[in-house]
Amino acid sequence: MRPAKIPTEELMTSGHLACQGCGATQAMRFALKAMGPKTALVIPACCWSVIDGPFPHTSLKVPICHTLFEAAASTASGLKAGLEMRGDTETVVMAWAGDGGTFDIGIQALSGAAERNEDIMYCCYDNEAYMNTGIQRSSATPVGAWTTTTPVAHYKKRPKKKIIDIMAAHSIPYIATASVAYPQDLIEKFRRAREIKGTRFMHVLAPCPTGWKLAPELSVAMARLAVTSRVFPLIEVTDNGSTWKVWKDFEQTPVADYMKPQGRFRHLTDKEIDSIEEEVDRNWQIMLSRERLSADLPGLER
Amino acid sequence: MGEKITFKSYKEMPINAMSIADMTWNLTGSWRNIRPYYDFKMSPCRLGCPAMEDIQRYIFLVTEKRYEEAWGAIIENNPMPAVTGRVCFHPCMDKCTRKDFDQAINIPAIERSLGDMGLENRDWMKKVDASKKEKVAVVGSGPAGLSCAFYLARMGYQVAMFESEKALGGILRWGIPEYRLPNDVVDRVISQILGSGPITVRAETTVGRDIGLDELEKEYDAIFLGLGLMKSRSLGIEGEKGKGIEPGLEFLKKVNSGETVSPGKRAVVVGGGNTAMDVARCARRTGSDVTVVYRRTMNEMPAIKDEIEEAEKEGVHFHFLAAPKEVVRSGGKLAKVVFQEMELGEPDESGRRRPVPVEGRTFELEVDTLFTAIGEQADLTGIEKKVECEWNMIKTTGEAGETSSARIFAGGDVVTGAASVVDAVAAGRKAAGKLDRIFTSADEPAVEEPKTVGIEEINTAYFHQTKRTLVPRIPVEEALKGYLEINSGFLPEQLEAEADRCFSCGVCNFCDNCWMYCPDVAIVRLEDSYEVNYDFCKGCLVCVVECPRGCISTREEGK
Amino acid sequence: MRKVIMGNHAVSYGVRACDVKVLSAYPITPQTQVVELLSEMCASGEIDAKFIKVESEHSAMTACVGASAAGVRAFTATSAQGLLLMHEVLHWAVGARLPIVLANINRAVGPPWSIWTDQNDSLSQRDVGWLQIYCESNQETQDTIVQAFKIAETVKLPVMLVLDAFFLSHTFEIVDILEAKDVRKFLPPYVAETKIDVDDPHSFGNLGSPSEYFELRYMIQKAMEEARDVVKDVDIEFKEHFGRGYGVVHPYRCDGADVILVTSGTVASTTRAVIDEMRDEGIKIGSLKIRLFRPFPVEEVYEVLSKAKKVAVIDRNISFGHHGIFFQEIKSALYGRTDVPIFGYITGLGGRDVTPKVIREIADRAVSDEKQERDINWIGVKV
Repeated sequence: MRPAKIPTEELMTSGHLACQGCGATQAMRFALKAMGPKTALVIPACCWSVIDGPFPHTSLKVPICHTLFEAAASTASGLKAGLEMRGDTETVVMAWAGDGGTFDIGIQALSGAAERNEDIMYCCYDNEAYMNTGIQRSSATPVGAWTTTTPVAHYKKRPKKKIIDIMAAHSIPYIATASVAYPQDLIEKFRRAREIKGTRFMHVLAPCPTGWKLAPELSVAMARLAVTSRVFPLIEVTDNGSTWKVWKDFEQTPVADYMKPQGRFRHLTDKEIDSIEEEVDRNWQIMLSRERLSADLPGLER
Repeated sequence: MGEKITFKSYKEMPINAMSIADMTWNLTGSWRNIRPYYDFKMSPCRLGCPAMEDIQRYIFLVTEKRYEEAWGAIIENNPMPAVTGRVCFHPCMDKCTRKDFDQAINIPAIERSLGDMGLENRDWMKKVDASKKEKVAVVGSGPAGLSCAFYLARMGYQVAMFESEKALGGILRWGIPEYRLPNDVVDRVISQILGSGPITVRAETTVGRDIGLDELEKEYDAIFLGLGLMKSRSLGIEGEKGKGIEPGLEFLKKVNSGETVSPGKRAVVVGGGNTAMDVARCARRTGSDVTVVYRRTMNEMPAIKDEIEEAEKEGVHFHFLAAPKEVVRSGGKLAKVVFQEMELGEPDESGRRRPVPVEGRTFELEVDTLFTAIGEQADLTGIEKKVECEWNMIKTTGEAGETSSARIFAGGDVVTGAASVVDAVAAGRKAAGKLDRIFTSADEPAVEEPKTVGIEEINTAYFHQTKRTLVPRIPVEEALKGYLEINSGFLPEQLEAEADRCFSCGVCNFCDNCWMYCPDVAIVRLEDSYEVNYDFCKGCLVCVVECPRGCISTREEGK
Repeated sequence: MRKVIMGNHAVSYGVRACDVKVLSAYPITPQTQVVELLSEMCASGEIDAKFIKVESEHSAMTACVGASAAGVRAFTATSAQGLLLMHEVLHWAVGARLPIVLANINRAVGPPWSIWTDQNDSLSQRDVGWLQIYCESNQETQDTIVQAFKIAETVKLPVMLVLDAFFLSHTFEIVDILEAKDVRKFLPPYVAETKIDVDDPHSFGNLGSPSEYFELRYMIQKAMEEARDVVKDVDIEFKEHFGRGYGVVHPYRCDGADVILVTSGTVASTTRAVIDEMRDEGIKIGSLKIRLFRPFPVEEVYEVLSKAKKVAVIDRNISFGHHGIFFQEIKSALYGRTDVPIFGYITGLGGRDVTPKVIREIADRAVSDEKQERDINWIGVKV
């Protein structure tokens, strides 16, 4: 067989209940290819509570502990402790939560686990709203977006919560963002994270054709444009939150190219998109300045 | 496929809502209303190649370092990639989709690398034994004849080649200078072709003079005429016959035979085709000051663009919109030539604007040798009685080179007028194919309009803009010292780099994208293909968009 | 070994003996000594467990859910607001059928802020599906921890044991300390039948459709019914090992009693003193301590109370808009089987002391049958 671009082992099966073109599903498939079968998942209320399939069925070949909406990180902490005490020190416990369960209702448990530096991975697959309940705004919903609770006449005015900054402030050993449009990069980051002890936070942008009012065939394209427009930079934060690395090796594309195909932004005027682009640029510059700053920090072994 | 579990009693249930089966009973294919399907197209480069070489395929095989197979993929359509890789005018590159992104792929350089590998690795060419009873006479051993002989022999027919010269090769040997196509390469290509199957050679035998077509017809089941054009056309002016005026082809033949030539201090070449360029550059190598005089402008020159540029680099002067009018000799030697100035008038049947003399405007050039390169002619002695000819060329009635005589086919320059090596190769192969179908009473293959893709179907997000990899060349000063081949061919890493640039338009090259991005794990990755598992494909069509090269088409379900 | 220890430490010592692998707790008065001592025991290696010092009770219980799902013993302790914050997770532990043990120190809920005892925190968790056992002494507390794990792992339901704030949690008594090596014979190391295991992967707790959910709930009720016997059997077995047993109810001098006072928690001890005093006076009175609240020991209660002429239920709790909660439970247990009159008394809310005098007042009113409300009588309230 010709060598494959990504591992051929499938730990996710067909027949799951995700919508057409679901980014969260791609994210899971890639992540599990990186993580391998010695992985136990903790899934709080989120799309994946449904995607997995109805009892007594599952679409994953790894064990899953479904749990409460706000409890991904704490359940994972307990599960990891339990497995270790049972003598299983090899299995990696990974919480797998949506943006609601991470940015909003689950942030307390996440913060607690991160502060304790629990030996868990935490992946937020971010589809930027409460998609499972029918597209309500979350604190991960980007500025300008329509949702059922931020109707066009009153679209979301506040920017997306900067979860990476929050997590970096917890001094955890590894933080990374990834995109389903770049599976090899995603897999490499999950593999790297897998080998690290302590709390590792992964943030994966997972386009939701249903909630973004997007043609399903464009979901990967949007994930890519989010990166190339710098709306969703691919970064790694290591050395307990102090070293920032930003991926820059791509051809920049306009923010409008990312926003225009998505119905959730359809109401925005060109002027509004311009101002969003300014914000995107500012955030990008902040990232770069952090990267420069961390390069100049004395006393860190790299 | 898994089974859906339904419980008849609580006693069968895990008490803690634990899964005991997978989801593969859930055939999500029923959600689909549009169906993606693999639908490979023909790459535009292939459509641009007169020989229909499967360019995408051999470049793909190069990316996989499967060089023997890559060479084999060319040989299916062209038995002499080492030749065409050097001298072809590469219309394929004009069709290359990559030119709409950055720069076309350097296809000829890749072809040449493979051609040279084919000559180095002698075992790649597997010898075929005679397996059919039919015998075919092939007249002329230029590219058309060699190609026809090769493909007939591949199919097991016995071939006898007739060549009036001692050495085989025709225009390849006599008409193309060594700095473009070394004799050594010609020798090896011919020996490889002759060694590939049941081919015999009768050199120094001119059909029509030494042996008649009638005789051949008796002895052979069919005849292919690939005579080529070996006579330079005359200028048709006063004083043309005589010292100081030389047909370009004869000059090239001398040069290629290693004869010493001395065109003198000032040489003028009349003409704008490849022969004119070859003559001019060979003359430069003797130290002459060379001027090409052409009756139209640079834009109308039929010569390969690269050749014109090379000639300019080597110091050849160009004088456009002029034609020789009169030759002035003094003391039996050529002294000067009077040229008529021209201008472009209405377009002629070729679409190019016809040059017309500007009344009363002439000029003179002092010339030691004037080369004629305004076109070549065939020598149809003894041929024209048997097959219908027109304009001193053999008239064909079909795509495969059918002539007025049932079992006589013709191809190459003798049919088309001065064309290209690759056209001749294509003609020889088509004739061979047609003869096979006649011999075996096979049906003509169905002709289908091939589907192709353009830049719109390419997902350019997967490609970075890069420059074409150029072949290493020896410096001009070096080149002018002799006939050393100018273009030294790709280094291995250059070959890889250039092959990697190929978009592989419309043809899968196993990039894995469709399989990788499928959210429903509904694409099966096989040894040399992918399959859509329609039981589960929800029809999101991510695969269609993420295929970088337009290999997947769609249709509505139920239609 | 016998030691004078506080009630909270009796909890810790009970946990110490049970091969608990994961502890997770968040501090709240009056529970803090439970986790402080457990922290020390973990730190010293006396207990081989991981102690996850979480940021909330919600996380404490979800961490127990995770640990228990991994197939190991998990324990937490809390009180009042903390228990209420856990409420959602209490349900989850039941549905997931996880044998978690929780010690709740009964404390009144705010506002206003109160740290003193009453039973409204635990009794408002009545319907979540946890077993509830109310303890009266430090010895019983320690011993019940051990019993609780055995019960929980047998019926695959979580168990909450409950003790009064301060009156028990901070009261020092002599306790015969249980050692792990002795307990192991009674409570062997826990082996979960199903668990999160990469070598046998399953998904636990995903979407349940109406065609399955109903049966899953039916099975929880079946387990609760089974638990009635299991609690008794475990108590008997415990007694065989350690010489101490507590029963699911504890009748005191009920033989020939015309009036029986129904109590729970520390009030039971006080009540027994009053019973002795009144018996000395020749009054035919007894008391019945309810130890097991969920599942409710209907038959045991009926057996004792059906022989009395009057039943008086003392509730340190109130279901607003209705009655004392034990009162309701007793009434529903006896409904249709006997017409013995049942009187309800609310007292001691928010830590108001339930002294022998208070009990005597209740007993006197019950005995004398002076004019009073049948269902709800407020004792000691300043009207």
